Amino acid sequence: MKRYIAYSALLGLVWCFVHGTISVNNFLLGAIIASLIIRPFRSMLNFDMEFHAGNALKKIPAQLTYLFVLIKEIIKANIIVAKIVLQPKINIKPGIIAVPIRTKTDLGITAIANTITLTPGTLTIDVSDDKSILYVHTIDATDPEGVARSIKDDLEKYVLEAFE
Amino acid sequence: MILETLSNVVLIIGLFFVFLAMLGLARLPDVYNRLHTTTKIGTLGAFGVMLSILLKVGFSPMGVKALTVALFILVTSPVAAHMISRAAHRHGVGLCKESVIDEYGRACSAACPEPEEE
Repeated sequence: MKRYIAYSALLGLVWCFVHGTISVNNFLLGAIIASLIIRPFRSMLNFDMEFHAGNALKKIPAQLTYLFVLIKEIIKANIIVAKIVLQPKINIKPGIIAVPIRTKTDLGITAIANTITLTPGTLTIDVSDDKSILYVHTIDATDPEGVARSIKDDLEKYVLEAFE
Repeated sequence: MILETLSNVVLIIGLFFVFLAMLGLARLPDVYNRLHTTTKIGTLGAFGVMLSILLKVGFSPMGVKALTVALFILVTSPVAAHMISRAAHRHGVGLCKESVIDEYGRACSAACPEPEEE
């Protein structure tokens, strides 16, 4: 039940941002609408699970680090792909590689898949049925182990800290 | 005045990246490589345009909405790219001929071997 209220409050805040003016009236309206909207998705969101505000707050520094790393990687990714696009002759060796991941929760896998898509020359295509391997399309697949290692060392560490 | 100039600079950077994304869409060989440009460069391009609106009008309702739209683009564009590429691969859209490796195709055909085609 606590979790239900927390989700409603969060969506109420999102409603404030979408509306453009942040006020108590807007927040309450958003929270009431949100509580009705998320009711049908009860089974997906695990409302029975315990919610500890302390745990959520403890993760904020890790999440800020993650955000910083993400922004850095996005800018790097853009420059690399922009260079490829601007070359007079396109010379790439793309391919799909399998990347093993340690994350087991759905939230962690979603986060790491989205992060991989936003970072240099990589695009998540699918996750294997046992949730242990991500299939990643990379624009330079001459060194599959190197790509897998860079994902593991540079990104997965921060995702694990921020979302587990 | 400074904000105005900064806003214009960010707008130009954003539009330049949108242009690069469209150029990549036209130049790169197959579906997957094209998705690379539209998700990454397109995201930063749209983000730049939204940021420029925010810098121009400040935290007025319009600016806050622009910021929200930018964050939604950042969250949703990887999901769209994932679904498009997965659907394309399942539909049998092959990789371009420069490709060197396809472990996903191998895993798929190991899980459910396709009948011999004639």
